[in-house]
Amino acid sequence: MEWSILEQYGPSLLRGFGVTVLCWILGTIFGMALGLVIALVQRYAPRFVGWIVQAYIEVIRGTPFLVQLFVLYYGGPLIGLRLDAIPAGLLGLTLYGSPYFAEIFRAGFRAVPHGQIEAARAIGMAEPTIVRRILLPLGLVSSLPALVNFSIILTKETVILSIITVPELMYQVGRMSAETYRYLEANLVLALFFWVLVEAISRVGRRVETRITKHLIERT
Amino acid sequence: MQASAVEIRKVNKYYGPFHALKDVDLSIPPGKVTCLIGPSGSGKSTLLRCINFLEEYDSGEIRIDGQLIGYETPGRKMSGRKLREMRRSIGMVFQQFNLWPHMTAKENVAEGLIRVRGLSKAEAETRAAEALTKVGLADKMENHPSRMSGGQQQRVAIARAIAMEPRLMLFDEPTSALDPELVGEVLNVMKTLASEGMTMVVVTHEMGFAAHVADQVAFMEKGELVAVDSPQGIFHAPKDQRIQNFLRTYHERNSF
Amino acid sequence: MFSIPVFLDSFEPLIWAARYTLLISVLGIVLGLVIGTLICAARLSSNMVLRKLAALWVSFFRGVPLLVQLLVFYYSLAVIGIDVPATFAAVFTVGICASAYISEIWRGAIAALPKGQAEAAVAIGMKPSDVWTRIILPQAVTISLPALINELILLVKASSLVSVVGIMEITRASQAQAATTFRPLEVYIAAACIYLIINLCLSALGRYLEHRTAI
Repeated sequence: MEWSILEQYGPSLLRGFGVTVLCWILGTIFGMALGLVIALVQRYAPRFVGWIVQAYIEVIRGTPFLVQLFVLYYGGPLIGLRLDAIPAGLLGLTLYGSPYFAEIFRAGFRAVPHGQIEAARAIGMAEPTIVRRILLPLGLVSSLPALVNFSIILTKETVILSIITVPELMYQVGRMSAETYRYLEANLVLALFFWVLVEAISRVGRRVETRITKHLIERT
Repeated sequence: MQASAVEIRKVNKYYGPFHALKDVDLSIPPGKVTCLIGPSGSGKSTLLRCINFLEEYDSGEIRIDGQLIGYETPGRKMSGRKLREMRRSIGMVFQQFNLWPHMTAKENVAEGLIRVRGLSKAEAETRAAEALTKVGLADKMENHPSRMSGGQQQRVAIARAIAMEPRLMLFDEPTSALDPELVGEVLNVMKTLASEGMTMVVVTHEMGFAAHVADQVAFMEKGELVAVDSPQGIFHAPKDQRIQNFLRTYHERNSF
Repeated sequence: MFSIPVFLDSFEPLIWAARYTLLISVLGIVLGLVIGTLICAARLSSNMVLRKLAALWVSFFRGVPLLVQLLVFYYSLAVIGIDVPATFAAVFTVGICASAYISEIWRGAIAALPKGQAEAAVAIGMKPSDVWTRIILPQAVTISLPALINELILLVKASSLVSVVGIMEITRASQAQAATTFRPLEVYIAAACIYLIINLCLSALGRYLEHRTAI
């Protein structure tokens, strides 16, 4: 492994990693936001809206992420959606993650003992207030582990963005290996890098989870 | 069939720093019913489970018909095979029944006969049917546990244990997980077994059963064997303050 | 705007390409089941070395994105000089990746069994191997069924990634189709429909099996 290569490509690899992190963070945040909206819509909206939303969930969960990206990036222009690679990738990640986040939130809501909601209704609390003060806080606490888990899964999905030319880490590694002909080494190092990264994030995630859960439970 | 005798001598058990059994000495005479009573956490279930070495005791001896269980010599554990051999003659009934949900009642009872005693499937099923008839469940043989009440499931569990023709039966709070109206049917089966001369060790909260069916009652608290006596001695003339307190709390909570 | 004829015409070549998708997914999960069972056994064994190695295996193949695994394996073969059909390499990679997830599915199912089940078997003196094959495994398989079907669905979707090593499954075929028709929107949506149909069938199968094996 020639270290001069790292010197030469270091900056672009670093930029690529920056794009990976950016896509991951924004994709997670937007995906969670959209997922929360979906979960609340499914709980409170009229039946046929719920069906439409459910259809969306089935479609996203039943089709490969890559194909979804192709539809957005390559198919989009035909209906006037002309996005650059990064915005398309972000949109794709958000749409892809939202149904999974929605399911996690729904499970979290279901885990809130119904008696708690009934108690709030019994004292005459308005539904939106119940959502804000009882359902969300308690539901989010039980959802936390699953949320952390899935966002870790999203870090791995970011490499698929390279296929629609989003200049994240794998894309940069691809360019580097094409120019240096060191395909195997480059991808092997990439694999090890992700392994360490994901393992590290998982461990940190678990510790953060326990701390936040303890903290939230003490406050509620 | 010879009923077994159990000798428990100076048995100690630790869970980490927690001293769960403290120098317990107890003789279980053959063909008789011994009940273990006491407050929660007293170590009664732990002691019971040490008898068939489902829990490992740390020091002391437990001998069944003179043979040490769990250890070849003190400090050297018994081989898996020898332990299994000894367990074949010991029947155990658990608080949570522990029936295997993917098998019917008959299959549950026959399984041990086939896998452990090596009987043919036909022979095993015949014996299983007999055992189930004995506990009064001849009509439920082909049912899965999910289709039976708690009392019926526990009776199947008893049938499963007695089909193996044990010389010793261990009962770990057999009725604690049952709705009150189902307790009677299980106790009746146990009374029948007792009248047939089976050596039984029963951990229970059913004081009525202990008072009327047991030949000896052992009271434990905090890992210690406080007293062993006839039911008369424990229930009607207890000498130890701890037993008196326990009985008083029991009466307060259960009489109306 | 949206050309229905192009959309409908795309189905034929894509369905033809679907046989590779199904081949890779099915063979992948079979391989994953076989290896996954071994890894799970290692995870639960009393041998510490085996346990650690299995834990590393699971951590690696769950931590590295499948796309990277595919490229690493593909280029490894090129470097070693083994001339292996790309499909074979793809099945192998997908299967190994799946084995890590399946091992954890087994582990979770076994852990979910009440401890008393095994205890009752041990108490009547059953051999450990019998306790496993007669009591623990049958129930573990039943408990795992939904998760395993889910894994199969994930593999069907993951198979789209093998397009990057040139295998003519649905995604690659749709790229080729889009290039000739210049209507990527209709073609990719058609591809999505085919995946959706496959996965909806698998979900229905999963629900049917769950219903049938409910104890």
